[in-house]
Amino acid sequence: MKDDVCIRNLEKDFGGFKAINNLSLRVKHGEIYGLLGPNGAGKTTAIKILCGLLRPSSGEAYVLGTKVPDPGMASSVGYMPQELALYRNLTVHENLAFYGEVFGLSKKEIETREQALLKLVDLEASKDVLIDELSGGMQHRISLACTLLHEPQLLFLDEPTVGVDPDLRATFWRYFEGLRDAGITMLITTHYMDEARHCDRIGFMRDGRIIAEGSPQELLELTHTDSLEDAFLAYSRTEGLQ
Amino acid sequence: MKASRAFAVTKRVLRDLKNDRRQLALIFIAPLLVISIFGVAFTGNVKDVHVVVVNGDTAVGNSSLSDKIISNFDTSVLNVAYANSESEAVGQVQNGSASAVIVFPANFTQSVAARASGQTSVAKENVTITLLADKSNPNVSDPIIATVNTAVAQTIQGLGRQAPVSVDSSNAIYGANAQFIDFFAPGILCIAVWQLTTLLTLISFVGERTSGTLFRLLASPLKESELVAGYAVAFGIIGTAQSAVLLTASVILFHVTIVGDVLLAFGVIALLAVVSEGLGILLSSFARREAQAIQFLPIVVLPAFLLSGVFWPIQAIPTWLRPVSYLIPVTYAVEAVRSVILRGWGIDKIYPDVIALLIFASVFLSLATLLLRRRE
Repeated sequence: MKDDVCIRNLEKDFGGFKAINNLSLRVKHGEIYGLLGPNGAGKTTAIKILCGLLRPSSGEAYVLGTKVPDPGMASSVGYMPQELALYRNLTVHENLAFYGEVFGLSKKEIETREQALLKLVDLEASKDVLIDELSGGMQHRISLACTLLHEPQLLFLDEPTVGVDPDLRATFWRYFEGLRDAGITMLITTHYMDEARHCDRIGFMRDGRIIAEGSPQELLELTHTDSLEDAFLAYSRTEGLQ
Repeated sequence: MKASRAFAVTKRVLRDLKNDRRQLALIFIAPLLVISIFGVAFTGNVKDVHVVVVNGDTAVGNSSLSDKIISNFDTSVLNVAYANSESEAVGQVQNGSASAVIVFPANFTQSVAARASGQTSVAKENVTITLLADKSNPNVSDPIIATVNTAVAQTIQGLGRQAPVSVDSSNAIYGANAQFIDFFAPGILCIAVWQLTTLLTLISFVGERTSGTLFRLLASPLKESELVAGYAVAFGIIGTAQSAVLLTASVILFHVTIVGDVLLAFGVIALLAVVSEGLGILLSSFARREAQAIQFLPIVVLPAFLLSGVFWPIQAIPTWLRPVSYLIPVTYAVEAVRSVILRGWGIDKIYPDVIALLIFASVFLSLATLLLRRRE
């Protein structure tokens, strides 16, 4: 099957600092690909290039078969930025309605999808509450709802679980698995190694490139470790020795 | 209380300042700028005002009293031109190329001489010089009246005897009963819209950048130009609403006279709001946080406050500083709105100002769009 994301020899230079350094990866259709690595590894930069917010310095990236940046593919892709990206002085409904309109949804579509999404994230009662008055965890769930509103077939989720309590993190991964079962492809970045076991495949990222890739099981077996954190450290050490 | 901890805070604040050149520049350069502008603008007198003389006096050369009075005009204040008829001269005020008409009656010299020599066959009343000014701007019309009166007094004094000459400036071409507030109100409308719109756009756009909403929008089908246009419409509406409230208040509270078409004035103000919105978005790309955005405020507000003709006319601003006035969009808006409200001018007369504002709007909006579209 055709890959939904294909990155080849990607480089991104910020005035002498190489945030992305010869990065290549593929995300297959219908899988959850976890991009794991410490802060500053280049995960967010990679996502921003895929979303067309940054231009590659060299190399190329294809999203759903289209070379980015390309404004045409925005409606088939969902992007959840690291920041919550909500209007704090607007209510939940007003935020969803705004993003829905930006994506060209009709009033009716917005209404039905909003209902379904608020049910999914269990916030039906907060429809008319200001974002500012919601707890941090609720805001995260609304942010996810905004990302899903236009029913994208491919999701870029940048650190969706940062600052989220363990309960909600588990809930989020349940959402993600449910979305995958519905046929949606996901590229998720995180620096919480343990939760990456939910991914179909993982890429360990360090200094702007992939240092190891495989299913969680494969990576654990290859490094003879019990946790993905130890596996990452093992690869990180080998990398340092080279 | 521990002095060492307090000192640590002091050091941190100073370090913060040292690392933020923009703030440093604002702390020192902005006050200097303000002081200089205030000093220059306040001390300036009205200069180079265009007036049109209609001289019915038939006496010529040294014997002409009217020529003597005209030669006594302070030429730094008045720039004198001549017209053959009163209607031609008034026309020049109405098309904006002059600010007043000075009419010397027929046989002015002879009439004055006749009265001065005490001939009983002539009327006792003084010979009157008629001054028809555009009083919609008292800051300009008052100096004209004063200059003419001074020149008359000087000339009569030079003759060494009582001369029955008076100046009648009771009639006006525009703004017959204008008070300073009439002159002032349109300027305040414009400055308020300018200030509020620029600041609000600036702050909300910095918010878009910091909260991540801008990322979401740029990764959506929404085009950069649509984002800019959406903001423009919003602030056009807000600006119009703001000025409607202000104008209503000034009519009720200060009895400001409205001669012209209010809707045209609102149109100009909406256009100014769009210009301000473009500027706000442009400035937002130079601020990372809200606090930095607020620091732009003095730069946006003060030059407009002082140099755009809100409080005193452009004519009172030194010639070398005037080009700066014409770089400020508010100048055109103030001029246009004032002409509409006080003089009743229509689009046929204010179109140069409207065109200037349209140019500002298109430049600012295109730059704002390009800046958003730019990808690192």
